[in-house]
Amino acid sequence: MSDAQSPVIRYVARRAVPFIQLYALYVLGHGEDGPGGGFQGGVIFASSIVLLALVFGYGAGRKACPERISDFISPLGCLVYASIGLLCLLMGGMFLEYARLAGPDASDHAKHAAHHFGLIGIEAGVMLTVTASMVTLFFEMARPAPDEGGLDE
Amino acid sequence: MHDVHVAALVAILIGVLTVLPRAIRGPTMLDRILAVNVIGTKTIVLVALVGFLGVEHGILEGAPANDYERAGFFLDIALAYSLINFIATIAVLRYVETRARRKAAVEGGGA
Repeated sequence: MSDAQSPVIRYVARRAVPFIQLYALYVLGHGEDGPGGGFQGGVIFASSIVLLALVFGYGAGRKACPERISDFISPLGCLVYASIGLLCLLMGGMFLEYARLAGPDASDHAKHAAHHFGLIGIEAGVMLTVTASMVTLFFEMARPAPDEGGLDE
Repeated sequence: MHDVHVAALVAILIGVLTVLPRAIRGPTMLDRILAVNVIGTKTIVLVALVGFLGVEHGILEGAPANDYERAGFFLDIALAYSLINFIATIAVLRYVETRARRKAAVEGGGA
């Protein structure tokens, strides 16, 4: 059974998960001037769910991120990415030309801000898709065979 | 500062070399896991030291030498590495534990 594990590991994992998720958001936000971005942030976020599943078993990990939620988030990220790009088209710019999001006669400052928000927006979309895909990949590989316990063994 | 960082780097590399035989030879699986974990912990410090050395030599793009703010770049990597290292160790331990239990079950069933 999965609860045969050391209480130290269970305690540390329970305490570490929120910090890992916070760090993933930090990596997402600092993609412009540091290492990271949407993909790396998504992988780090997914690793927190993997940690939950490793320590508390397959079922507990899947409960933290149910199949129908990860299946919903995965295309949602693509939708966020594409709709920000198409929004730029609607505003009269090119695909993913974020500066246009500020409006037709915006100041340089507003254009600069719009560029940053657009960039963060698509990175968030990437992060959603990567998180959901990584979680799905992990759980599909860790799915217990009918005659075996898998992670819950 | 530069010499101190180089000396620390060499000391940590020597530390890695001393546990490397344990990681290669074993003899048990737990010896290997512990050795790899030690190397991973040392790598975190190594990444941070490489960041400081890079800052001192000004090799990061567009940064002047001795701009220690830029070392944060490498500290982020070190932090992410430590998280992944922790999770990887737990994953390998889970694998070893499950395999040992399964093997015991098979032998118990056969006897």
